Amino acid sequence: MISDLVDSTTTPSPFEPAPEPARYGAPRRGIDPDRTKSWMRRALPIVAAHKVSFATALSVSFVSLVLQVEIPQLLGTDALNKAVVPFVEQASRPVAERLPASHFEHLLLHYVVLVLILAVGAGICGYISRLFLMTTAYQIEFDLRNIIYSHLSRMSFSYYDRVQSGQLISRANSDIRSVQMYLTFGPSILVQCLVAVVAFGYMLATNVALAFVAMCAMPFIYVAGVRMRAVLFPVSWLIQSRLAEVATIVDENINGVRVVKSFAAEGQQLGQLAGAARRLRWAYVKDADVRAQFTPVVQNLSQLGLALVLLFGGWLVVHDHLQVGTILTFSFWIVMLQMPFQMLGMMIMMGQRASASAHRIYEILDEPAEVADRPGATDLVECRGDVRFRSVTFRYTPDGPPVLEGFDLHLPPGQTVALVGRTGSGKSTVARLIERFYDATEGTVLIDDHDARDLTITSLRAHVGMVLDEPFLFSVSIRDNIAYGRPDADITDIEAAARAAGADGFIRELAHGYDTIVGERGYTLSGGQRQRIAIARALLVNPPILILDDATSAIDVQVEKAIHERLETLMAGRTTLIIAHRLSTIGLADRVVLVEGGRVVADGTHAELLATTPLYAEVLAQAAELEATEAETAEAPGAGEPEAADRRGGRDS
Amino acid sequence: MMGPMFGGGGRGSASNPGGGLPFAGVPWEMQEGVNRLLADEPEHDDTEHAFSYRPAPDEKQRVTLRLLVLRHWNLALWSGLFVAVVAVANQAGPELVSYGINHGMVHKDMTVVLTVAILYVAAVGITAISQRAMVKVTGRLAAQVMHDLRVRVFTHLQRLGLDFYTDEKAGVIMTRMTSDIENLQQLLQDGLAQFAVQGLTMVVIMAVLFTTNALLALYAVLMVLPLLVVGSLWFQSASERGYDRVRDGIANVLADLSESLHGVRVVAAHNRQARNVVHHRNVVGEYRDANNYTAQINAVYGPGTQVLSYLSQAGLLAVGGEMVLHHRLSIGGLTAFFLYMNRFMMPIQLLVQQYNVFQQGQASLVKLRTLLDTAPNVGEKAAAVELPPLEGHIRFDDVSFGYDPAQPVIEHVDLEVPAGQTVAFVGPTGAGKSTLAKLVTRFYDPTAGQVLIDGHDLRDVTIPSLRRQLGVVPQEPFLFAGTIRDNIAFARPGASDDEVWEALRAVGLDDVVTRMPSGMDTEVHERGQSLSSGERQLIALARAFMARPRVLVLDEATSNLDLASETRIEAALDLLLQGRTAILIAHRLSTAMRADRIFVIDDGRVAESGTHDELVEMGGRYAAMYRTWSSHTSVTG
Repeated sequence: MISDLVDSTTTPSPFEPAPEPARYGAPRRGIDPDRTKSWMRRALPIVAAHKVSFATALSVSFVSLVLQVEIPQLLGTDALNKAVVPFVEQASRPVAERLPASHFEHLLLHYVVLVLILAVGAGICGYISRLFLMTTAYQIEFDLRNIIYSHLSRMSFSYYDRVQSGQLISRANSDIRSVQMYLTFGPSILVQCLVAVVAFGYMLATNVALAFVAMCAMPFIYVAGVRMRAVLFPVSWLIQSRLAEVATIVDENINGVRVVKSFAAEGQQLGQLAGAARRLRWAYVKDADVRAQFTPVVQNLSQLGLALVLLFGGWLVVHDHLQVGTILTFSFWIVMLQMPFQMLGMMIMMGQRASASAHRIYEILDEPAEVADRPGATDLVECRGDVRFRSVTFRYTPDGPPVLEGFDLHLPPGQTVALVGRTGSGKSTVARLIERFYDATEGTVLIDDHDARDLTITSLRAHVGMVLDEPFLFSVSIRDNIAYGRPDADITDIEAAARAAGADGFIRELAHGYDTIVGERGYTLSGGQRQRIAIARALLVNPPILILDDATSAIDVQVEKAIHERLETLMAGRTTLIIAHRLSTIGLADRVVLVEGGRVVADGTHAELLATTPLYAEVLAQAAELEATEAETAEAPGAGEPEAADRRGGRDS
Repeated sequence: MMGPMFGGGGRGSASNPGGGLPFAGVPWEMQEGVNRLLADEPEHDDTEHAFSYRPAPDEKQRVTLRLLVLRHWNLALWSGLFVAVVAVANQAGPELVSYGINHGMVHKDMTVVLTVAILYVAAVGITAISQRAMVKVTGRLAAQVMHDLRVRVFTHLQRLGLDFYTDEKAGVIMTRMTSDIENLQQLLQDGLAQFAVQGLTMVVIMAVLFTTNALLALYAVLMVLPLLVVGSLWFQSASERGYDRVRDGIANVLADLSESLHGVRVVAAHNRQARNVVHHRNVVGEYRDANNYTAQINAVYGPGTQVLSYLSQAGLLAVGGEMVLHHRLSIGGLTAFFLYMNRFMMPIQLLVQQYNVFQQGQASLVKLRTLLDTAPNVGEKAAAVELPPLEGHIRFDDVSFGYDPAQPVIEHVDLEVPAGQTVAFVGPTGAGKSTLAKLVTRFYDPTAGQVLIDGHDLRDVTIPSLRRQLGVVPQEPFLFAGTIRDNIAFARPGASDDEVWEALRAVGLDDVVTRMPSGMDTEVHERGQSLSSGERQLIALARAFMARPRVLVLDEATSNLDLASETRIEAALDLLLQGRTAILIAHRLSTAMRADRIFVIDDGRVAESGTHDELVEMGGRYAAMYRTWSSHTSVTG
């Protein structure tokens, strides 16, 4: 886990896209990986990384606290007792012995100036301590967010297959916030509580018996605090998990909005959310009940001490064992105790919330990355593009059915191979194993005769380009979307890639051309347009191994044909794996591999398979049938200008 | 989807909590406490929530804290009462102590001491009891208001059209529904009550000050208030800007995170992780800067007001001391005044703290208000009627439309689909085929002309009554987290198992689902890999089968399928389409050929229309497309 924290940009891999200029430093430390430790001890390294500013904030706030105690002292005891009271008292003396009023006025002025200086000093200290405390808090939040993000960026796909984004987002939001609040304000509250210790010291020095009477409520406060913690934790956990439930529903609703709208399921979605909101409301009510049970106790028990001081002290005074002034002083000290105890209750509450949240955050951070570089993994360099599956078996989940079983396949360098098979036969899985989104359960995947698991993931992926069946676009400009794998590419390269993918035409028709920001997921573009941008994105990287996973399904035949013509030249010398259902796409391949039930069942040219394998004909049933009827009439006409078709360039999906 | 939800699984069926997620849930040592807590949770009604596209009268009002709280005026009233009791009882303490000292101890009167001590305990008891009630009531008030706000914002989100969802990042919408609303919790739970307690305390003390010595009180108030007001005005404008930046910052952070999670495959395939880590750091850094800016403001305002209180006391010392020296004030008077002044400044300090919480909440409320003020692109008229059961006759009457009015996508389209017919829209990408379909489902309204179903202008009918009779299978199959059954029965959650199996059989998925360990109850979600993309597409089709719509729109719904599956589905489709109106949007001419009528859409207009044979005969665009297509199939042979 500690190695997680090493800033990945400090060791730039030649296989990764050029890093974005970092304007902010990476977190210096991460959480303690030892799961047996308490959550606070695990968080300690992060806090310790900012110990200077933290210590500054705490010590300055202590100074300002002292100043704040000092000012009333100066105002009351000093200024009044020395500058005003003597003046009144000297009225009883003979006039000759009296000091002139101006003397007292000077003295008064002296104290006023002193108070002013102290006030300004307290102000400056207050400013510094608060600024340092809050900026440290925000720095810790910054660290936590980045630690989680970089951890998530190392997670394997089997992880992403299981988790819901809403869960992760909620943990990266509400839970971070509650941990951060506690880590920062907790210590400052503790500093304030120091006042209580100081006050108790003063009391002991003045009157031991009275001091113990004043503090006799403390053990009860401690007991109440411990009980409160035990009861608060489950409630806090409940609240946090239900906040995540709300977030998950919202996240899904937004991402599935098209389905929701299509089926007029708004009411049903609202019902789900309202249900979650009601459960959350119930949890908050429970939280209020728990707080109502304990806060009055924790906050007011110290006051009972005062009542006892009043009673016991009063008895002492009445029987002349004690001066009235002492009682007065004691009552001031006990009042001073009130604030820290009120805050103590708050601190326990924040602490339990933070503890629940920290557990939820650690749940993310403790999950190891499944696909990770082995120790001693080597870089894949000068890739020839030789891909071999050697009796590979693969399951998405340990107890799930095997998706590939004893799968053998060899893609020699430079060959274009089409993978054909029925829905769910395991074609896309083959692509995902080459890209090492997953590792084979049994058997090996070899790239240039290296076991893929012995290669560094970045170097492997740098040599494998993949166009996914789902053309996900980011909400940045089209230029940045195409340059996703090579952010430093110049515009001529980007345009060349777009031309090859048949995208240049419609992009130019857009109002802002390549600078057009595509909306969330690129939904402002049609499905075919998105696919073409995704192809351009893969082509720009110019990888020796290219995988097209159903990458042209939404592109109309004419445009696809034009893309294929360009791809054919681009595919020269490149190992290409095409997963497709269209005969026209399959026609690009040198060789066709038929997959069924996770195995290769036939391998050869299209004609061979058609002749020898009934299943192949069955899979291609419709096209084959058509072929038979249309073969003689077929004649290749000019494909026309595919781009011209996109003159509108609008959204059409 | 019922039963107490708990643990990390978020939503999941009661039989399978967690759904195999890596989140284990509660730490074992706390499990018992959680069980005890959940034991007395009532069943929450989790069924359909009344939803209408037309906002209720109270939803038309602007969202303000006042309105939100006043909806629960009885809770607010009780909380106000307890707040007042707490404020008064709190003030009783110091009074009693000084009385006990001055009258009891000084005069050596033990009965007074005893009485005062008992009264003091009583006061503390009253404080504690009313505090307890206050926490309960304000906690409930806050929970209630937050619940209302969540439901209200989400209701509005359901009303907003697709244009909103394409323009706004998912992460930003997510922030509004989560972070922004959560940001109000503190304010509602403690802030408002504290505000009231301290405000009240200030008023009480001010009154005492003026009755004690009007002149000194005036001095004190004049010394403090103007500067305090000026400082607060400055804080208000500076923090408004600051917190607005913070809200934008967190929205950007969550939007970036959300995109990284949803696009995780693309990120990995392009080795972007390291770069994205730096990018995220930059986004989080901007958020931190925004937070730091507010820290600056707070660090000036908080201690600044404190300095102000000391300055006023120094001023009091100068003025009051001078008055004593000129025999216009007694020492006792001055001392008392100092004490009150101190007590006057305490609540100001606390008010200042709460004002900060208030400003934070206000920034969130402004964001939510902006969201709630966003008008849906497709609204429901006040006079909209329920659409009666449809025949399914669709007519486009001189329809023009553009997502951006300056760039029309559809221009003067006249088109008619007789009830029960299947038509296909073909044409190049970006020609406007899907747009036409979106006008039929009323995801958008035409900029000119009208779209009619059975003679009803779509704008005159209620949206749910229209959409419930339409079925759309979009290009990207989206699966919700839940079981396969939940996903198929999406439009009819009450459907029986037999009906779900029937839908599965119709799309040819029954074999696959039977082979799964949990069958129909297998958990799937957005990215889960238990299903291939083709199978997901089939689930989406089965979903449409279940809905049994009168009009069916298939938008490239079969593009991810292998041909065998497609053949199989089309057999099922033939069955489904019987007696239904259907619009097929297709790139595969094999799909289009099945239609009763084909419309060739090009450049936002209907270029040709007719049956397959007619169009081939005509020798126009369709004929050319058909030649290209069939040549491809033969080239490979």
